[in-house]
Amino acid sequence: MSLRSGARKNYNELVNPDDDFSDDTNTSMSEIEEEEDDDYKKPKAPLKIKNPTANRGTKRKQQDAEDEDVLVEAGPNLDIPPDYVPDVVSKMFNKNDFSYLKLKPDHASRPIWISPSDGRIILESFSPLAEQAQDFLVTIAEPISRPSHIHEYRITAYSLYAAVSVGLETDDIISVLNRLSKVPVATSIVDFIKGATISYGKVKLVLKHNRYFVESTQADILQMLLKDEVLGPLRIDSSDSANGLTSGKAPEQGDLKIPGTKPSNGQEGQTDGTVEDIYASVVGAKEDDIEEDDIDAVHSFEISNDSVEIVKKRCQEIDYPVLEEYDFRNDQRNPDLDIDLKPSTQIRPYQEKSLSKMFGNGRARSGIIVLPCGAGKTLVGITAACTIRKSTIVLCTSSVSVMQWRQQFLQWCTIQPESVAVFTSDNKEMFHSESGLVVSTYSMVANTRNRSHDSQKVMDFLTSREWGFIILDEVHVVPAAMFRRVVTTIAAHAKLGLTATLVREDDKISDLNFLIGPKLYEANWMDLAQKGHIANVQCAEVWCPMTAEFYQEYLRESARKRMLLYIMNPTKFQACQFLIQYHEKRGDKIIVFADNVYALQEYALKLGKPFIYGSTPQQERMNILQNFQYNDQVNTIFLSKVGDTSIDLPEATCLIQISSHYGSRRQEAQRLGRILRAKRRNDEGFNAFFYSLVSKDTQEMYYSTKRQAFLVDQGYAFKVITHLHGMESLPDLAYASARERRELLQEVLLKNEDAASLEVGDDADNSVGRGNNVTKRSNNGKVKAQRTAGSLASLAGGEDMAYIEYSSNKNKELKEHHPLIQKMYYKKAKK
Amino acid sequence: MSSYLFKSNVNEYLEGLPESVQSRLYQSPATCLAIYRLLPGLAKFFIMSMVFNEKPQAVRDFDSWVKPNGKMDLVEALRSIKSLHLLKEANGIAIMNPVFRKSFRNVLTGNEIGNSFGVLCDTDDTHKVSVEFLDQYAANKWETILHFMVGTELEQSPSPGVLSLLTHSGLMEGKSVKDMLITNEGFQFLLQDVNAQLWTLLLQYLRMAESLQMDPVDVLNFIFMLGSLELGKDYSLSALSETQVNMLGDLRDYGLIYQRKSTSRRFYPTRLATTLTSDTTSLRSASSAMNKVIENAKDSAYTPTNIENSGTIIIETNFKVYAYTNSPLQIAILNLFVHLKARFSNLVTGQITRESIRKALVSGITSEQIISYLESHAHPQLRRAAEEELNKKNGFESNNHGEKIQILQPTIADQIKLWQLELDRIMSFDGYLFTDFSSDQEYQVLSKYSEEIGVLLWNDSSKKKFFVTKEGNSQVIAFANRRLKKKA
Repeated sequence: MSLRSGARKNYNELVNPDDDFSDDTNTSMSEIEEEEDDDYKKPKAPLKIKNPTANRGTKRKQQDAEDEDVLVEAGPNLDIPPDYVPDVVSKMFNKNDFSYLKLKPDHASRPIWISPSDGRIILESFSPLAEQAQDFLVTIAEPISRPSHIHEYRITAYSLYAAVSVGLETDDIISVLNRLSKVPVATSIVDFIKGATISYGKVKLVLKHNRYFVESTQADILQMLLKDEVLGPLRIDSSDSANGLTSGKAPEQGDLKIPGTKPSNGQEGQTDGTVEDIYASVVGAKEDDIEEDDIDAVHSFEISNDSVEIVKKRCQEIDYPVLEEYDFRNDQRNPDLDIDLKPSTQIRPYQEKSLSKMFGNGRARSGIIVLPCGAGKTLVGITAACTIRKSTIVLCTSSVSVMQWRQQFLQWCTIQPESVAVFTSDNKEMFHSESGLVVSTYSMVANTRNRSHDSQKVMDFLTSREWGFIILDEVHVVPAAMFRRVVTTIAAHAKLGLTATLVREDDKISDLNFLIGPKLYEANWMDLAQKGHIANVQCAEVWCPMTAEFYQEYLRESARKRMLLYIMNPTKFQACQFLIQYHEKRGDKIIVFADNVYALQEYALKLGKPFIYGSTPQQERMNILQNFQYNDQVNTIFLSKVGDTSIDLPEATCLIQISSHYGSRRQEAQRLGRILRAKRRNDEGFNAFFYSLVSKDTQEMYYSTKRQAFLVDQGYAFKVITHLHGMESLPDLAYASARERRELLQEVLLKNEDAASLEVGDDADNSVGRGNNVTKRSNNGKVKAQRTAGSLASLAGGEDMAYIEYSSNKNKELKEHHPLIQKMYYKKAKK
Repeated sequence: MSSYLFKSNVNEYLEGLPESVQSRLYQSPATCLAIYRLLPGLAKFFIMSMVFNEKPQAVRDFDSWVKPNGKMDLVEALRSIKSLHLLKEANGIAIMNPVFRKSFRNVLTGNEIGNSFGVLCDTDDTHKVSVEFLDQYAANKWETILHFMVGTELEQSPSPGVLSLLTHSGLMEGKSVKDMLITNEGFQFLLQDVNAQLWTLLLQYLRMAESLQMDPVDVLNFIFMLGSLELGKDYSLSALSETQVNMLGDLRDYGLIYQRKSTSRRFYPTRLATTLTSDTTSLRSASSAMNKVIENAKDSAYTPTNIENSGTIIIETNFKVYAYTNSPLQIAILNLFVHLKARFSNLVTGQITRESIRKALVSGITSEQIISYLESHAHPQLRRAAEEELNKKNGFESNNHGEKIQILQPTIADQIKLWQLELDRIMSFDGYLFTDFSSDQEYQVLSKYSEEIGVLLWNDSSKKKFFVTKEGNSQVIAFANRRLKKKA
């Protein structure tokens, strides 16, 4: 699968070397359309039942052929009662009129509806049962939208896979759904759940005492596997059992304690019991079941280490995908790592909840945890590492975050600094103890090009040993091919993916489900904001009308030049200037984001603010960021894409976005994440601000709506501002005169088309994963020397083109002219 | 609120009638009672105090009966009574219209009311119908009309009479049945309660009746009589005038009365008819009326009052709409501006999109109407959230009290308005178009001149046409004349 998609990618790039539209916009658009199609045009097949396991191996192929063979034709709908008469408006809904499902008599006290055709679940979040229902639904279904009153979820094959892997059984799922639902659960849904879960999670691959066992609670399944022509011979004979199976005690959470959780954790079940009986009784029953199972014991047979890959592959083929669990407490071969959370470290309830999903049965499950930016993903990762206590490797997207991870490890837990190694292009020291922690980047590990001697040595070290645990930070940015490489080169028992936004405009997200594991937990943004874990944000979309001259050119120009025009729209510049001034006066710290480097520089130079982009040297970056944090003279910085992820600036309280990556929902969410961890978030009435500046009547409006989709579904409301009061009267407003605007237009028009292209390099999205990064960059270099059209007069500066140093680079100023700042910073740092 | 609205409409109509017609109306006791019921409260009191009082009443006395802060009501009441010619004022003395007084006394005492309250059939109907049946029947008939208006596909469209009524009253427009579309007024009409809707149609019917040489007095008498009939009883046609018998067919189409066959000698008034002039709010709104019918038919935990008192619609900031309703009509109304997705027994889900709103806007519904519809039907959860928000705001900014409660998220209301604004982006100019120049040079000279004096709005040099402002036209013409003269 990964090979295929990799190949496709390259092909795209060959055909259309610099068109970034292709994967971000088109795909997702067609995706949406497809979805709609399913909803409306295929009345005879109410449920899209994908063969869930076949997906694992041949997903790509399946998608191509989706229409032909994935849909399982359901027979006549059994749920429609014979006396049901559709009324006049039924036609408006086509087959989505489910009014034939009779309400249960006490439906008012039940919180959900389940749509029989597409597995959509609608939840009343104001119902007294909503909280329990949410906990349950987030486990078994994908959250679609979670605004303030009504939430939507959707049951999919993946989500059921996740549910099964955290230990829910088919019957539990159905019975809880039935109890929560206002209407009877349709047979189509029941069938779908049964079909998807019947073979999931039944077989586990467990590493115990460094021997691999295929384990299941149902002996007959193992018997069936043993009869398989491929699997049968792979068994290593252990003669102690008549049927060839070994029985043993099933794992239980027992005394496993996730460090940092409060001791009262264990009693939580009791409080649950006092809450609404409906859910609690089911949960209770479920727990009982598990205990009974424990007594039943599990059955297993052993396979050799070499055949693990074959077994996994074969199990996928025969629809019994193996769940990987790591029984770290019984792993004696890998030495323990001396790591524990510091006593002062407290983890928050939702972090605890997410971890409990991971360590539910006393073993470590692989999977993905989704938490909003600023909600403490790092701490979740650290706590997980402290629970497993084996050698751990952390992969993140940039060298800045490598340093942040290292620093966080040292801050929150007791690990010795000498056991923490960092593997980046500048730093290739490894730890020398027998167990330790390595922090690195994806590109360092997945690099396939020639390595220096040093890094080759480190790589050999990394690949030669067995790792207990691997943490994959910001998993959403890394394409499947790269994961495949990382996962195969580094042998780790448990994998944990962390991300804030499990959305990609292409379809790569579903790949993660099977490469890393199912999504274990996804937090509710609004909920966290309400509880004060992340900041409250006021979102606004500011409409900046295009000036007449710019719009005229806009209509005339090519697509790429258009982009430059709408970004450099003078009204937008003015809006940006006004907002910066307004928020600086309020005492906010402002980050301005611009994807386009040309615009970034123009804006920053004109406004006299420091800026950071891909080619800013590391030292200068650190300098600027530190000034932003500690110097009250520097309240605004301009960041290009490099600031999207992993730059941790708790001081920032306001964010202005002047240009962005087409319709990328993920980028929008990531950027919002920059202000979610605002230090001041718990001040009463505090709001962080997020402005997206959009040039009216341009392509940008369309992208903007698309970008917001994810956040809007999380419950954020984007207010449209059509007019900023007092903008015209702002003193020294830029481009206030027509002459200035014309000059700007001239300048923009003279710019090469490439100025419009997005920044290449040094960004997680681009540099990671795309092997041909380097060639791209050199391309760019070549382009710079290209011939540009322009009159002789213009080149000589005859046409409004005098060279004037309008504004000097604030960056340099920061570096050279401010000994005071340096002093202030060092003073602070000393404290 | 809206019931007040329709009353003032009926009153306006009655007040606008010539005095002679009014006098003829007052001969019917039933009409007198109905008109009395339609009067403002204070006016009712004046009438009651005078009807059995033979002595002339000094107009000054009215002032002394009213508290100083009630002056407004007093003026309104007197205006209303006078324009209906129920009272005449002469030399400071108020005299009651003698015809009205006589009829109204008869109503109250039960003397000589004749046939004006209808004649009950003295024989038993072999096909007697129940009240439930009548309710169902009326709701069906009325619903058909409303459904037709919102464009639901129906097996049977309303009768031609109803259709012409709808077009003449400006509620719908279009030539043939197929392409009739709801108008702006039509949408407002839908949002009114059923009584107001009935009156809107009946008044239109009256206006049309006049042009058909039907006697408005007969028509009005019949309508007012219907208002005082008893639900569930059957009435004989014997007491009706010819005009009134002719009306039966139309009233059947509106669901006001039920006749088993058009030739039947008896008719039943439905609830729609009997509540025409009443104050009761038993059938307050169209949707609640429908709800009632449906809820009665099916068993449900929701009582109609529950639904009525608590709004039904939740709209989220992601523009998803959830409406707790099973009323086909409400669903049909929602369908005007919501892209509906799925429906459960008590819930409809949908999404507001730019396209769905645009569709509504294009068919003449305004964004204000949509917003006010969403607000007035908002689910209590939305209300509660809005109240909390308001309290919070007031808590932080103590000087900012009295801020208005925003039931709808401002972003949603703004967005809907913005979608409307998008459509209003064309500016129109009055001016003159210059074409058919004898030569290219002539075109060049004139267009250049008009550009120089700043009156040129548009030009197309390939087609040799240009357009100047209204103000600039004379200047351009003068210049052209000078030029051409010079040449000649």
